Amino acid sequence: MNEPDILFSGDDALRVLLSDRATRIARASQLRQSGDWLEVVPGRQDVTVQFDPIRLTPAEAMAHLRLTLATPPPPTRHATRTIDIPVRFGGSDGPDLAMIAESLGVTEPDIVSQLLAQPLRVDMLGFTPGFAYMTGLEEHYVIPRLLQPRQQVPAGSIGLITGQCGLYALAGPGGWPIIGRALASLFDPASADPFILQPGLQVRLVDSSKA
Amino acid sequence: MSLTILQPGAQMTLQGAPRIGTRHLGVPASGPADPLSMALANHLVGNACDATCIEITFGNAAIRFNTAASFALTGAPAAAALAGRAIAPHTAHTAQAGNELRIDGVGQGCRIYLSIAGTLATNAFLGSTSTYLPARLGGHEGRALKPGDQIAIAAPRSAPTIETPAEFRPICSNSYALRAVEGPDYVASQSGIWDETFTATQRASRMGLELEGRFPDPASASDIPSSAVFPGALQLPPGGHGFLLLADGQTTGGYPHILQVVRADRHILGQIRPGDRIRFLQRTHAQATEALRAKQALLAGWLPEFSL
Repeated sequence: MNEPDILFSGDDALRVLLSDRATRIARASQLRQSGDWLEVVPGRQDVTVQFDPIRLTPAEAMAHLRLTLATPPPPTRHATRTIDIPVRFGGSDGPDLAMIAESLGVTEPDIVSQLLAQPLRVDMLGFTPGFAYMTGLEEHYVIPRLLQPRQQVPAGSIGLITGQCGLYALAGPGGWPIIGRALASLFDPASADPFILQPGLQVRLVDSSKA
Repeated sequence: MSLTILQPGAQMTLQGAPRIGTRHLGVPASGPADPLSMALANHLVGNACDATCIEITFGNAAIRFNTAASFALTGAPAAAALAGRAIAPHTAHTAQAGNELRIDGVGQGCRIYLSIAGTLATNAFLGSTSTYLPARLGGHEGRALKPGDQIAIAAPRSAPTIETPAEFRPICSNSYALRAVEGPDYVASQSGIWDETFTATQRASRMGLELEGRFPDPASASDIPSSAVFPGALQLPPGGHGFLLLADGQTTGGYPHILQVVRADRHILGQIRPGDRIRFLQRTHAQATEALRAKQALLAGWLPEFSL
Protein backbone atom coordinates (compact mmCIF):
# COMPACT_ATOMS: atom_id res chain seq x y z
CA MET A 1 0.00 0.00 0.00
CA ASN A 2 1.36 3.43 -0.89
CA GLU A 3 1.88 5.81 2.00
CA PRO A 4 -0.70 8.60 1.80
CA ASP A 5 0.46 12.21 1.87
CA ILE A 6 0.07 13.98 5.21
CA LEU A 7 0.20 17.71 5.77
CA PHE A 8 -0.26 20.00 8.75
CA SER A 9 -3.50 21.92 9.08
CA GLY A 10 -2.36 24.41 11.69
CA ASP A 11 -0.37 23.70 14.86
CA ASP A 12 -2.58 20.92 16.22
CA ALA A 13 -4.10 19.08 13.26
CA LEU A 14 -2.87 16.76 10.50
CA ARG A 15 -4.56 16.08 7.20
CA VAL A 16 -4.24 12.73 5.40
CA LEU A 17 -5.01 12.90 1.69
CA LEU A 18 -7.27 10.00 0.67
CA SER A 19 -9.17 10.40 -2.57
CA ASP A 20 -11.08 7.10 -2.43
CA ARG A 21 -14.34 7.29 -0.45
CA ALA A 22 -14.27 3.73 0.92
CA THR A 23 -10.65 4.13 2.09
CA ARG A 24 -11.48 7.46 3.67
CA ILE A 25 -14.40 6.01 5.62
CA ALA A 26 -12.39 2.97 6.75
CA ARG A 27 -9.44 5.15 7.83
CA ALA A 28 -11.69 7.61 9.67
CA SER A 29 -13.26 4.73 11.57
CA GLN A 30 -9.84 3.24 12.38
CA LEU A 31 -8.47 6.59 13.59
CA ARG A 32 -11.57 7.31 15.70
CA GLN A 33 -11.44 3.87 17.33
CA SER A 34 -7.78 4.34 18.27
CA GLY A 35 -8.83 7.00 20.79
CA ASP A 36 -5.59 8.91 20.07
CA TRP A 37 -7.18 12.00 18.51
CA LEU A 38 -9.45 14.77 19.79
CA GLU A 39 -11.31 14.93 16.48
CA VAL A 40 -11.33 12.77 13.34
CA VAL A 41 -13.08 14.65 10.55
CA PRO A 42 -13.47 13.29 7.00
CA GLY A 43 -13.45 15.84 4.19
CA ARG A 44 -14.26 15.29 0.52
CA GLN A 45 -10.69 14.24 -0.31
CA ASP A 46 -9.05 13.74 3.08
CA VAL A 47 -9.35 12.91 6.77
CA THR A 48 -8.14 15.43 9.35
CA VAL A 49 -7.15 14.54 12.92
CA GLN A 50 -6.75 17.06 15.72
CA PHE A 51 -4.30 16.36 18.56
CA ASP A 52 -3.51 17.89 21.94
CA PRO A 53 0.00 19.44 21.77
CA ILE A 54 0.25 19.18 25.57
CA ARG A 55 0.42 15.40 25.09
CA LEU A 56 2.12 15.09 21.69
CA THR A 57 4.52 17.43 19.91
CA PRO A 58 3.68 17.98 16.22
CA ALA A 59 6.56 15.67 15.25
CA GLU A 60 5.33 12.96 17.63
CA ALA A 61 1.77 13.31 16.31
CA MET A 62 3.03 12.94 12.73
CA ALA A 63 5.07 9.83 13.60
CA HIS A 64 2.14 8.33 15.48
CA LEU A 65 -0.25 8.95 12.59
CA ARG A 66 2.17 7.35 10.11
CA LEU A 67 2.45 4.33 12.36
CA THR A 68 -1.34 3.91 12.49
CA LEU A 69 -1.62 4.32 8.73
CA ALA A 70 1.03 1.63 8.21
CA THR A 71 -1.54 -0.86 9.57
CA PRO A 72 -4.38 -1.59 7.15
CA PRO A 73 -7.78 -0.50 8.48
CA PRO A 74 -9.92 -3.32 9.86
CA PRO A 75 -12.41 -4.50 7.22
CA THR A 76 -15.83 -2.88 7.56
CA ARG A 77 -18.07 -5.46 9.12
CA HIS A 78 -21.44 -4.59 7.69
CA ALA A 79 -22.64 -4.52 4.11
CA THR A 80 -23.47 -1.06 2.80
CA ARG A 81 -26.82 0.02 4.17
CA THR A 82 -29.42 1.69 1.99
CA ILE A 83 -32.22 3.84 3.35
CA ASP A 84 -35.25 5.22 1.55
CA ILE A 85 -36.18 8.85 2.10
CA PRO A 86 -39.52 10.09 0.79
CA VAL A 87 -39.18 13.54 -0.78
CA ARG A 88 -41.54 16.24 -2.06
CA PHE A 89 -39.86 17.84 -5.06
CA GLY A 90 -40.40 21.35 -6.40
CA GLY A 91 -43.05 23.87 -5.40
CA SER A 92 -42.62 25.55 -2.03
CA ASP A 93 -40.55 22.57 -0.83
CA GLY A 94 -38.08 22.95 -3.68
CA PRO A 95 -38.20 26.61 -4.67
CA ASP A 96 -35.12 26.44 -6.92
CA LEU A 97 -36.00 23.31 -8.96
CA ALA A 98 -37.69 25.27 -11.76
CA MET A 99 -34.75 27.70 -12.02
CA ILE A 100 -32.22 24.83 -12.22
CA ALA A 101 -34.27 23.01 -14.88
CA GLU A 102 -34.55 26.17 -16.95
CA SER A 103 -30.83 26.97 -16.73
CA LEU A 104 -29.95 23.40 -17.80
CA GLY A 105 -32.54 23.36 -20.58
CA VAL A 106 -34.34 20.30 -19.19
CA THR A 107 -37.65 19.71 -17.41
CA GLU A 108 -38.20 19.40 -13.65
CA PRO A 109 -39.18 15.69 -13.96
CA ASP A 110 -35.93 15.09 -15.93
CA ILE A 111 -33.86 16.28 -12.97
CA VAL A 112 -35.91 14.33 -10.46
CA SER A 113 -35.78 11.10 -12.46
CA GLN A 114 -31.99 11.41 -12.93
CA LEU A 115 -31.56 11.89 -9.21
CA LEU A 116 -33.79 8.89 -8.46
CA ALA A 117 -32.10 6.67 -11.05
CA GLN A 118 -29.52 5.32 -8.60
CA PRO A 119 -28.90 5.51 -4.85
CA LEU A 120 -26.83 8.48 -3.67
CA ARG A 121 -23.77 7.90 -1.48
CA VAL A 122 -23.11 9.97 1.65
CA ASP A 123 -19.54 11.33 1.43
CA MET A 124 -19.33 13.19 4.72
CA LEU A 125 -21.25 15.23 7.26
CA GLY A 126 -20.04 18.75 7.82
CA PHE A 127 -20.41 22.49 7.62
CA THR A 128 -23.42 22.56 9.98
CA PRO A 129 -24.91 19.83 12.22
CA GLY A 130 -25.92 16.79 10.20
CA PHE A 131 -25.54 18.40 6.77
CA ALA A 132 -24.84 15.42 4.48
CA TYR A 133 -22.69 15.84 1.38
CA MET A 134 -23.84 13.18 -1.11
CA THR A 135 -23.17 12.28 -4.71
CA GLY A 136 -25.48 14.08 -7.11
CA LEU A 137 -26.08 14.51 -10.83
CA GLU A 138 -23.39 13.95 -13.45
CA GLU A 139 -20.73 16.67 -13.35
CA HIS A 140 -21.67 18.01 -16.79
CA TYR A 141 -24.81 19.50 -15.22
CA VAL A 142 -23.31 22.75 -13.97
CA ILE A 143 -25.34 24.07 -11.02
CA PRO A 144 -23.76 26.98 -9.15
CA ARG A 145 -24.43 27.88 -5.53
CA LEU A 146 -26.91 30.68 -4.85
CA LEU A 147 -25.37 34.15 -5.19
CA GLN A 148 -27.09 35.15 -1.98
CA PRO A 149 -27.24 32.33 0.62
CA ARG A 150 -30.58 31.98 2.44
CA GLN A 151 -30.60 32.92 6.11
CA GLN A 152 -32.84 29.98 6.89
CA VAL A 153 -33.71 26.81 5.00
CA PRO A 154 -36.15 24.33 6.59
CA ALA A 155 -34.96 21.03 8.11
CA GLY A 156 -34.99 18.25 5.52
CA SER A 157 -34.27 20.55 2.57
CA ILE A 158 -32.41 18.97 -0.32
CA GLY A 159 -29.88 21.09 -2.17
CA LEU A 160 -28.21 20.48 -5.51
CA ILE A 161 -24.92 21.84 -6.88
CA THR A 162 -22.60 20.53 -9.56
CA GLY A 163 -21.86 16.86 -8.85
CA GLN A 164 -23.32 16.95 -5.36
CA CYS A 165 -26.56 16.68 -3.50
CA GLY A 166 -26.83 17.98 0.07
CA LEU A 167 -29.33 17.22 2.80
CA TYR A 168 -29.98 19.72 5.59
CA ALA A 169 -30.75 17.66 8.74
CA LEU A 170 -31.60 20.82 10.67
CA ALA A 171 -32.96 24.22 9.77
CA GLY A 172 -30.20 26.78 9.25
CA PRO A 173 -28.50 29.04 6.75
CA GLY A 174 -27.88 27.51 3.32
CA GLY A 175 -26.25 28.47 0.04
CA TRP A 176 -27.28 25.51 -2.12
CA PRO A 177 -30.26 25.77 -4.49
CA ILE A 178 -33.12 23.80 -2.88
CA ILE A 179 -35.02 21.27 -5.00
CA GLY A 180 -37.16 19.43 -2.47
CA ARG A 181 -37.73 18.43 1.10
CA ALA A 182 -37.43 15.08 2.88
CA LEU A 183 -40.59 14.01 4.66
CA ALA A 184 -38.66 11.85 7.16
CA SER A 185 -36.93 13.34 10.21
CA LEU A 186 -33.15 13.10 9.89
CA PHE A 187 -32.39 14.16 13.45
CA ASP A 188 -33.17 12.68 16.87
CA PRO A 189 -31.76 15.02 19.54
CA ALA A 190 -32.27 12.47 22.33
CA SER A 191 -30.17 9.77 20.64
CA ALA A 192 -26.44 9.26 21.30
CA ASP A 193 -26.23 9.01 17.50
CA PRO A 194 -28.56 11.91 16.65
CA PHE A 195 -28.09 12.07 12.87
CA ILE A 196 -29.65 9.39 10.66
CA LEU A 197 -27.22 9.88 7.75
CA GLN A 198 -23.65 8.59 8.05
CA PRO A 199 -20.71 8.53 5.60
CA GLY A 200 -20.88 5.53 3.28
CA LEU A 201 -24.64 5.11 3.65
CA GLN A 202 -26.64 4.77 0.43
CA VAL A 203 -29.70 6.97 0.17
CA ARG A 204 -32.54 6.20 -2.19
CA LEU A 205 -34.74 9.26 -2.66
CA VAL A 206 -38.39 8.37 -3.29
CA ASP A 207 -40.76 10.80 -5.02
CA SER A 208 -43.63 11.05 -2.53
CA SER A 209 -46.07 12.13 -5.24
CA LYS A 210 -45.59 8.73 -6.90
CA ALA A 211 -45.55 6.62 -3.75
CA MET B 1 -34.12 28.23 43.41
CA SER B 2 -33.45 30.18 40.27
CA LEU B 3 -32.37 33.41 38.70
CA THR B 4 -34.38 35.59 36.33
CA ILE B 5 -33.03 37.38 33.29
CA LEU B 6 -34.09 41.03 33.42
CA GLN B 7 -31.98 42.40 30.58
CA PRO B 8 -29.86 40.16 28.33
CA GLY B 9 -27.74 42.82 26.60
CA ALA B 10 -26.69 42.24 22.98
CA GLN B 11 -26.55 38.46 23.45
CA MET B 12 -26.68 36.23 26.50
CA THR B 13 -26.23 32.45 26.28
CA LEU B 14 -25.48 29.53 28.55
CA GLN B 15 -22.10 27.97 27.80
CA GLY B 16 -20.32 25.04 29.44
CA ALA B 17 -17.81 22.47 28.23
CA PRO B 18 -17.16 22.46 24.49
CA ARG B 19 -18.34 19.44 22.48
CA ILE B 20 -15.32 17.30 21.70
CA GLY B 21 -15.36 14.53 19.11
CA THR B 22 -18.50 15.71 17.29
CA ARG B 23 -17.06 17.67 14.35
CA HIS B 24 -17.48 14.70 11.98
CA LEU B 25 -21.23 15.12 12.56
CA GLY B 26 -21.02 18.77 11.54
CA VAL B 27 -21.48 19.77 15.19
CA PRO B 28 -18.98 22.45 16.28
CA ALA B 29 -17.46 22.72 19.76
CA SER B 30 -19.42 25.75 21.02
CA GLY B 31 -18.64 26.48 24.68
CA PRO B 32 -17.27 29.84 25.85
CA ALA B 33 -15.75 32.07 23.17
CA ASP B 34 -13.13 32.92 25.84
CA PRO B 35 -12.63 29.67 27.79
CA LEU B 36 -9.89 31.12 30.02
CA SER B 37 -12.16 33.84 31.37
CA MET B 38 -14.95 31.32 31.98
CA ALA B 39 -12.57 29.01 33.86
CA LEU B 40 -11.44 31.96 36.03
CA ALA B 41 -15.08 32.82 36.84
CA ASN B 42 -15.87 29.22 37.78
CA HIS B 43 -12.75 28.86 39.90
CA LEU B 44 -13.72 31.86 42.05
CA VAL B 45 -16.97 30.18 43.12
CA GLY B 46 -15.56 26.68 43.53
CA ASN B 47 -17.10 25.20 40.35
CA ALA B 48 -15.36 22.93 37.85
CA CYS B 49 -13.56 25.01 35.18
CA ASP B 50 -16.13 24.14 32.52
CA ALA B 51 -19.30 24.38 34.65
CA THR B 52 -22.12 26.14 32.80
CA CYS B 53 -21.87 29.95 32.97
CA ILE B 54 -23.75 32.88 31.48
CA GLU B 55 -21.85 34.46 28.58
CA ILE B 56 -22.81 38.12 28.11
CA THR B 57 -21.77 39.97 24.95
CA PHE B 58 -20.96 43.69 25.44
CA GLY B 59 -22.57 43.83 28.93
CA ASN B 60 -25.62 46.09 29.51
CA ALA B 61 -27.29 43.24 31.31
CA ALA B 62 -29.23 42.59 34.49
CA ILE B 63 -30.38 39.51 36.37
CA ARG B 64 -32.26 38.89 39.62
CA PHE B 65 -31.27 36.20 42.11
CA ASN B 66 -34.37 34.41 43.43
CA THR B 67 -32.22 32.48 45.87
CA ALA B 68 -29.02 33.25 47.78
CA ALA B 69 -25.92 32.18 45.82
CA SER B 70 -22.33 33.25 45.28
CA PHE B 71 -21.24 34.45 41.86
CA ALA B 72 -18.29 36.05 40.06
CA LEU B 73 -17.73 38.17 36.95
CA THR B 74 -14.71 37.90 34.64
CA GLY B 75 -13.85 38.65 31.01
CA ALA B 76 -14.34 42.07 29.44
CA PRO B 77 -14.20 44.72 32.18
CA ALA B 78 -17.47 46.53 33.01
CA ALA B 79 -18.79 48.34 36.04
CA ALA B 80 -21.30 46.24 37.98
CA ALA B 81 -23.53 46.63 41.02
CA LEU B 82 -25.31 44.16 43.30
CA ALA B 83 -28.43 45.58 44.99
CA GLY B 84 -27.17 49.05 44.08
CA ARG B 85 -23.67 48.65 45.52
CA ALA B 86 -20.66 48.60 43.20
CA ILE B 87 -18.83 45.28 43.07
CA ALA B 88 -15.44 44.33 41.65
CA PRO B 89 -14.79 41.78 38.91
CA HIS B 90 -12.57 38.74 39.53
CA THR B 91 -14.00 38.43 43.02
CA ALA B 92 -16.52 36.00 44.53
CA HIS B 93 -19.60 37.82 45.87
CA THR B 94 -22.74 36.47 47.52
CA ALA B 95 -26.19 37.61 46.44
CA GLN B 96 -29.25 37.35 48.68
CA ALA B 97 -32.64 36.25 47.38
CA GLY B 98 -34.22 39.20 45.56
CA ASN B 99 -30.92 41.00 44.82
CA GLU B 100 -30.47 42.44 41.35
CA LEU B 101 -27.11 42.32 39.59
CA ARG B 102 -26.63 45.10 37.04
CA ILE B 103 -23.73 45.14 34.60
CA ASP B 104 -22.79 48.18 32.51
CA GLY B 105 -21.54 48.17 28.93
CA VAL B 106 -17.98 47.04 28.24
CA GLY B 107 -15.35 49.56 27.12
CA GLN B 108 -12.76 47.11 25.89
CA GLY B 109 -13.11 43.43 25.09
CA CYS B 110 -16.34 41.73 24.14
CA ARG B 111 -17.63 39.03 26.51
CA ILE B 112 -18.32 38.84 30.23
CA TYR B 113 -18.66 35.53 32.11
CA LEU B 114 -21.00 35.21 35.08
CA SER B 115 -20.44 32.08 37.15
CA ILE B 116 -22.91 30.93 39.80
CA ALA B 117 -21.91 28.66 42.72
CA GLY B 118 -24.20 25.75 41.91
CA THR B 119 -25.48 24.09 38.75
CA LEU B 120 -27.55 25.96 36.16
CA ALA B 121 -30.36 23.94 34.55
CA THR B 122 -29.78 23.31 30.84
CA ASN B 123 -30.84 21.13 27.92
CA ALA B 124 -27.66 19.16 27.21
CA PHE B 125 -26.99 17.94 23.68
CA LEU B 126 -24.33 15.32 22.84
CA GLY B 127 -23.03 15.49 26.39
CA SER B 128 -22.55 19.26 26.57
CA THR B 129 -24.66 22.07 28.01
CA SER B 130 -23.28 24.70 25.60
CA THR B 131 -25.68 26.66 23.41
CA TYR B 132 -25.24 26.43 19.64
CA LEU B 133 -27.59 29.11 18.35
CA PRO B 134 -27.68 28.37 14.58
CA ALA B 135 -29.23 24.93 15.13
CA ARG B 136 -30.89 25.72 18.48
CA LEU B 137 -29.00 23.06 20.41
CA GLY B 138 -28.01 22.88 24.10
CA GLY B 139 -28.21 25.68 26.67
CA HIS B 140 -31.68 27.05 27.46
CA GLU B 141 -33.99 25.75 24.72
CA GLY B 142 -31.09 26.18 22.29
CA ARG B 143 -31.59 29.93 22.19
CA ALA B 144 -30.26 33.22 23.52
CA LEU B 145 -31.74 34.26 26.85
CA LYS B 146 -34.43 36.92 26.92
CA PRO B 147 -36.10 39.06 29.58
CA GLY B 148 -38.26 36.98 31.90
CA ASP B 149 -36.39 33.69 31.38
CA GLN B 150 -35.95 31.78 34.62
CA ILE B 151 -32.92 29.54 34.96
CA ALA B 152 -33.12 27.03 37.79
CA ILE B 153 -30.07 26.69 40.03
CA ALA B 154 -29.48 23.28 41.59
CA ALA B 155 -27.56 23.19 44.88
CA PRO B 156 -26.73 26.91 45.14
CA ARG B 157 -23.85 27.56 47.53
CA SER B 158 -22.18 30.38 49.29
CA ALA B 159 -18.48 30.54 48.41
CA PRO B 160 -15.67 32.19 50.40
CA THR B 161 -14.61 35.62 49.13
CA ILE B 162 -11.53 35.11 46.99
CA GLU B 163 -10.02 37.13 44.16
CA THR B 164 -8.11 36.21 41.01
CA PRO B 165 -4.47 37.18 41.65
CA ALA B 166 -3.45 40.15 39.50
CA GLU B 167 -0.98 38.13 37.41
CA PHE B 168 -3.74 35.77 36.25
CA ARG B 169 -6.17 38.46 35.06
CA PRO B 170 -6.18 38.62 31.24
CA ILE B 171 -6.00 42.14 29.81
CA CYS B 172 -8.48 43.30 27.18
CA SER B 173 -7.22 45.79 24.63
CA ASN B 174 -8.23 47.25 21.28
CA SER B 175 -5.18 45.81 19.57
CA TYR B 176 -4.07 42.18 19.58
CA ALA B 177 -0.98 40.33 18.32
CA LEU B 178 -1.97 36.72 17.75
CA ARG B 179 0.59 33.98 17.25
CA ALA B 180 -0.19 31.92 14.15
CA VAL B 181 1.25 29.21 11.91
CA GLU B 182 0.88 28.80 8.16
CA GLY B 183 -2.36 27.09 7.14
CA PRO B 184 -2.58 24.24 4.59
CA ASP B 185 -3.36 26.66 1.74
CA TYR B 186 -0.62 29.20 2.57
CA VAL B 187 2.03 29.85 -0.08
CA ALA B 188 5.30 31.77 0.25
CA SER B 189 4.08 34.64 -1.96
CA GLN B 190 1.58 35.50 0.79
CA SER B 191 4.30 36.42 3.31
CA GLY B 192 3.13 40.04 3.32
CA ILE B 193 0.32 38.97 5.65
CA TRP B 194 2.77 38.93 8.57
CA ASP B 195 3.41 42.68 8.17
CA GLU B 196 -0.17 43.87 7.87
CA THR B 197 -2.57 45.15 10.51
CA PHE B 198 -6.19 44.01 10.09
CA THR B 199 -9.41 45.40 11.57
CA ALA B 200 -12.38 43.39 12.85
CA THR B 201 -15.56 44.42 11.01
CA GLN B 202 -19.16 44.52 12.29
CA ARG B 203 -19.62 40.95 11.06
CA ALA B 204 -18.65 39.39 14.36
CA SER B 205 -20.40 36.58 16.19
CA ARG B 206 -19.69 33.37 18.03
CA MET B 207 -19.18 31.76 14.59
CA GLY B 208 -16.34 34.00 13.57
CA LEU B 209 -14.83 37.40 12.93
CA GLU B 210 -14.57 39.09 9.57
CA LEU B 211 -11.28 40.99 9.15
CA GLU B 212 -10.58 43.73 6.68
CA GLY B 213 -7.19 44.90 5.48
CA ARG B 214 -4.73 44.04 2.75
CA PHE B 215 -5.06 40.28 2.41
CA PRO B 216 -2.89 38.50 -0.16
CA ASP B 217 -4.57 36.95 -3.19
CA PRO B 218 -5.59 33.35 -2.57
CA ALA B 219 -3.18 31.02 -4.36
CA SER B 220 -5.79 28.33 -4.91
CA ALA B 221 -9.22 28.47 -6.45
CA SER B 222 -11.84 29.82 -4.06
CA ASP B 223 -13.81 26.57 -4.27
CA ILE B 224 -11.56 23.77 -3.06
CA PRO B 225 -12.80 20.37 -1.80
CA SER B 226 -14.34 20.80 1.65
CA SER B 227 -11.98 19.86 4.44
CA ALA B 228 -11.98 20.11 8.24
CA VAL B 229 -11.47 23.53 9.82
CA PHE B 230 -11.21 24.37 13.53
CA PRO B 231 -11.54 27.51 15.64
CA GLY B 232 -8.57 29.77 14.92
CA ALA B 233 -8.61 29.06 11.16
CA LEU B 234 -8.24 32.16 8.98
CA GLN B 235 -9.98 31.59 5.66
CA LEU B 236 -10.05 33.77 2.57
CA PRO B 237 -13.51 33.70 0.96
CA PRO B 238 -14.05 35.61 -2.30
CA GLY B 239 -14.53 39.31 -1.68
CA GLY B 240 -11.16 40.18 -0.17
CA HIS B 241 -11.99 39.93 3.54
CA GLY B 242 -10.59 37.28 5.86
CA PHE B 243 -12.78 35.19 8.16
CA LEU B 244 -11.42 33.91 11.46
CA LEU B 245 -13.39 31.02 13.01
CA LEU B 246 -14.51 30.98 16.65
CA ALA B 247 -16.16 28.43 18.97
CA ASP B 248 -19.33 28.05 16.85
CA GLY B 249 -17.44 28.05 13.53
CA GLN B 250 -18.43 25.58 10.83
CA THR B 251 -16.71 22.18 10.95
CA THR B 252 -15.64 21.96 7.30
CA GLY B 253 -14.91 24.61 4.71
CA GLY B 254 -13.98 25.03 1.09
CA TYR B 255 -12.23 28.42 1.18
CA PRO B 256 -8.43 28.77 1.22
CA HIS B 257 -7.23 28.29 4.82
CA ILE B 258 -4.09 30.40 4.97
CA LEU B 259 -3.30 30.87 8.67
CA GLN B 260 -4.15 29.14 11.90
CA VAL B 261 -4.06 31.04 15.20
CA VAL B 262 -2.14 28.78 17.59
CA ARG B 263 -3.97 26.84 20.28
CA ALA B 264 -2.25 28.86 23.04
CA ASP B 265 -3.84 32.12 21.82
CA ARG B 266 -7.31 31.00 20.69
CA HIS B 267 -8.95 32.01 23.98
CA ILE B 268 -8.16 35.63 23.06
CA LEU B 269 -10.40 35.51 19.96
CA GLY B 270 -13.54 35.65 22.11
CA GLN B 271 -12.64 39.15 23.32
CA ILE B 272 -12.07 40.76 19.90
CA ARG B 273 -14.76 43.29 19.02
CA PRO B 274 -15.57 45.24 15.84
CA GLY B 275 -12.96 47.92 15.26
CA ASP B 276 -10.16 46.11 17.12
CA ARG B 277 -6.82 45.83 15.31
CA ILE B 278 -5.11 42.48 14.76
CA ARG B 279 -1.64 41.43 13.71
CA PHE B 280 -0.39 37.89 13.19
CA LEU B 281 2.99 36.79 14.55
CA GLN B 282 4.57 33.99 12.54
CA ARG B 283 5.50 30.88 14.51
CA THR B 284 6.66 27.37 13.61
CA HIS B 285 4.72 24.31 14.76
CA ALA B 286 7.40 23.59 17.38
CA GLN B 287 7.23 27.17 18.68
CA ALA B 288 3.44 26.92 18.86
CA THR B 289 3.73 23.81 21.04
CA GLU B 290 6.31 25.51 23.30
CA ALA B 291 4.01 28.54 23.64
CA LEU B 292 1.08 26.31 24.60
CA ARG B 293 3.08 24.36 27.16
CA ALA B 294 4.53 27.55 28.67
CA LYS B 295 1.11 29.21 29.02
CA GLN B 296 -0.44 26.02 30.37
CA ALA B 297 2.35 25.70 33.00
CA LEU B 298 1.82 29.32 34.06
CA LEU B 299 -1.96 28.94 34.38
CA ALA B 300 -1.55 25.73 36.40
CA GLY B 301 -0.45 27.97 39.30
CA TRP B 302 -4.08 29.17 39.68
CA LEU B 303 -6.22 26.85 37.49
CA PRO B 304 -4.65 23.40 37.93
CA GLU B 305 -7.48 21.63 36.10
CA PHE B 306 -7.86 23.97 33.14
CA SER B 307 -6.40 23.13 29.75
CA LEU B 308 -6.20 25.48 26.81
